[in-house]
Amino acid sequence: MKALLSATAFTALALSATASFAETNLTYMMWGDPPEIAVWEAIVAEFEAANPDIKVKVEVSDWDSYWDKLRVTTVGGNPPDVFAMDAPLYPDWQSRGSLLDLSPYLAAAPETLNGVYPGPLAAYRLSAGTFGLPRDFQTIVLFYNKAMFDAAGVAYPDDSWTLDDLRAAAKKLTIDKDGDGQTDQWGLGTELWDMEPMWGPVLYSYGGAPISADFKKTTLGDAPATDAWKFLADFRLNDGSVMSQEDLESYGSDGFLAGVAAMTFSGHWVVPAYSELAFEWDVAPFPKGPAGRATLVNSAGIVVSATTPNPDAAWKFVQFVISEKGQSKLTELGFAIPVIDKVANSPVFLEQKARGTHKVFLDALAYAHTKPSFRGYEEWSAAVGDTLALVWTGEMSIDDALAEIVPNADAALANNQ
Amino acid sequence: MSQIGVSPRGAERFWVIVLLLPTLLGLALGAFGSIAATIGISLFQWDLLSPAKWVGFDNYLALPENRNFLKALGNTALFSAIYVPATLSISLVVAVLLNQRIRGVSLFRLIYFIPVVTSPTAVGLVWTWIYSKDKGVLNAIITTFGGDPVHWLGSDMALYSVVIVNVWGAIGEGMIIFLGGLQAIPRDVYEAATIDGASRFQQFLAVTIPMLLPSIFFQAVLCTIHAFQAFDYVYILTQTGNGGSSLPMLVFNIYREGFNYFRMGNASAQSVVLAVIVLSLTLIYSRLNKRWGQG
Repeated sequence: MKALLSATAFTALALSATASFAETNLTYMMWGDPPEIAVWEAIVAEFEAANPDIKVKVEVSDWDSYWDKLRVTTVGGNPPDVFAMDAPLYPDWQSRGSLLDLSPYLAAAPETLNGVYPGPLAAYRLSAGTFGLPRDFQTIVLFYNKAMFDAAGVAYPDDSWTLDDLRAAAKKLTIDKDGDGQTDQWGLGTELWDMEPMWGPVLYSYGGAPISADFKKTTLGDAPATDAWKFLADFRLNDGSVMSQEDLESYGSDGFLAGVAAMTFSGHWVVPAYSELAFEWDVAPFPKGPAGRATLVNSAGIVVSATTPNPDAAWKFVQFVISEKGQSKLTELGFAIPVIDKVANSPVFLEQKARGTHKVFLDALAYAHTKPSFRGYEEWSAAVGDTLALVWTGEMSIDDALAEIVPNADAALANNQ
Repeated sequence: MSQIGVSPRGAERFWVIVLLLPTLLGLALGAFGSIAATIGISLFQWDLLSPAKWVGFDNYLALPENRNFLKALGNTALFSAIYVPATLSISLVVAVLLNQRIRGVSLFRLIYFIPVVTSPTAVGLVWTWIYSKDKGVLNAIITTFGGDPVHWLGSDMALYSVVIVNVWGAIGEGMIIFLGGLQAIPRDVYEAATIDGASRFQQFLAVTIPMLLPSIFFQAVLCTIHAFQAFDYVYILTQTGNGGSSLPMLVFNIYREGFNYFRMGNASAQSVVLAVIVLSLTLIYSRLNKRWGQG
């Protein structure tokens, strides 16, 4: 009994001691891979050293469970104080009142935005305010396996490449090594369900666009875009040089990483994993289309919950993440391009340990289109992707698919007005 | 039905209530609470994050124009129309065969029951390898014999491929129920039938089936509920890269509408419609059972 009493007294003492220290605890939640935790903890350690009264807990989930977790904690009234946001989904979360308007903080500290790339930043500036800031961004480029190009005697891709060059090279790089009638090496292995890696850039490089500039009308079935679809469908279905979704899944969703695809379209997020590869590879700009060169740029943002009890501490953390110090640390991860031009153009990014010609990613900004971002993006992209999947498997013609996609996608837009 | 067991009296009655309370509370809050909440939410427009807005029956009135809902409803109806009779008849045949005095009968019963207790996610993945178009086991067998590879999970075949997996997964459960029913049939009825000169097949039709009707109706109800709730195998086999499904079922559509598209009211209305469908079918079965099953 005595022991119990003294234990209780001790606990009470310990509790009051922490309380008198007036420590602010923040939770920062993000999607990502396990290796990212260590780097974020390093960023947090630096932040905590500068702000000894704030403690930040980092929680990392994979992409799918991240969004479920975020919804459930937000609905349950216990959202993370600070969390990561995908730019296309940002208007959805903002319009439902779950994000804190950072405009007053920005007005008080305008220097926060010094050197932040205007493109990625623009996505977060809404008429209602600025409810988040870009944390880092991604541009899509062409990755190629040098060994496979050498073996097939094909010249490496460069900035003179057109989409036709891409298609011709992909065909030459598709090989049935053991002659059993089954392809063992594909020219191109890239995701085709989402617009970001391939079909979005191709649409833009034909002069088309997936959606109107005001995000009110689906335009991917309109005239120049239809030529892009014809190119994509022929490329995927007639040449046998592009991996099917089923092929990709049987190689862990990444044929390039598995060493069975000579080329892929992707962003900088694959660079850390690809740096471990045994074979030599490099990157080239997205090949030119009939209307010029195009690619997509998409940013990951950092936002603050509207209901956080510690908005000031949360803002300090956001500010630190996009500061030169935070961005330099984040760049070491090798997953993304820093949002501050000074860091992006410094050796921290350009000469990082991870392999690849990093300047190609940065130069892509000059011709990149911002990935569309609007309320209802997820429903719209499902309406597009669900039917498009049938085109890539050869079960539906692209014309039939577009005739079905456009009204469905427009209905999805109407649902979210 | 006749009363079985003893009726509690006096102080016993108190303890009966006390002991049942945890379960009753769980049911009241867990099951009935969720049902009441679902019905309530279906009358609101609610995105989980901002305050709910009362819309009356608008969510229900919008359903006939909701393409995704209609497609999912059609898929689920077709799925059930094949799944329920197939599961019932195959598990009945298996139960009758495994009700014989044969060597290793427990082993066979175990084998048929294994799919019921294995993880649908793991088994679903194995089935995707079996069905895979270019590298699948099934197509490898077909091409070895000179056939053309079939796109088992493509839009033409997916429904049938998925039904096969679900039936395979459900045979064990039906078998257990039917075995229980079969063993409750007195041997002397069969002896009498044999003396009357009835063949084995005639005995099956004239003795086994009628005596088993209550079990068959019970299993039909369970199967129908499972069919309308089908999600795990179907989703694993037909999921597309963007989190969609090439064969969207009602439960999948409800999940997507609520959690991905932020429309909880709409999703709840679909859940209520789903519940009403299952309830009506159960009532029909129960009517049929009263007329034929219990004589």
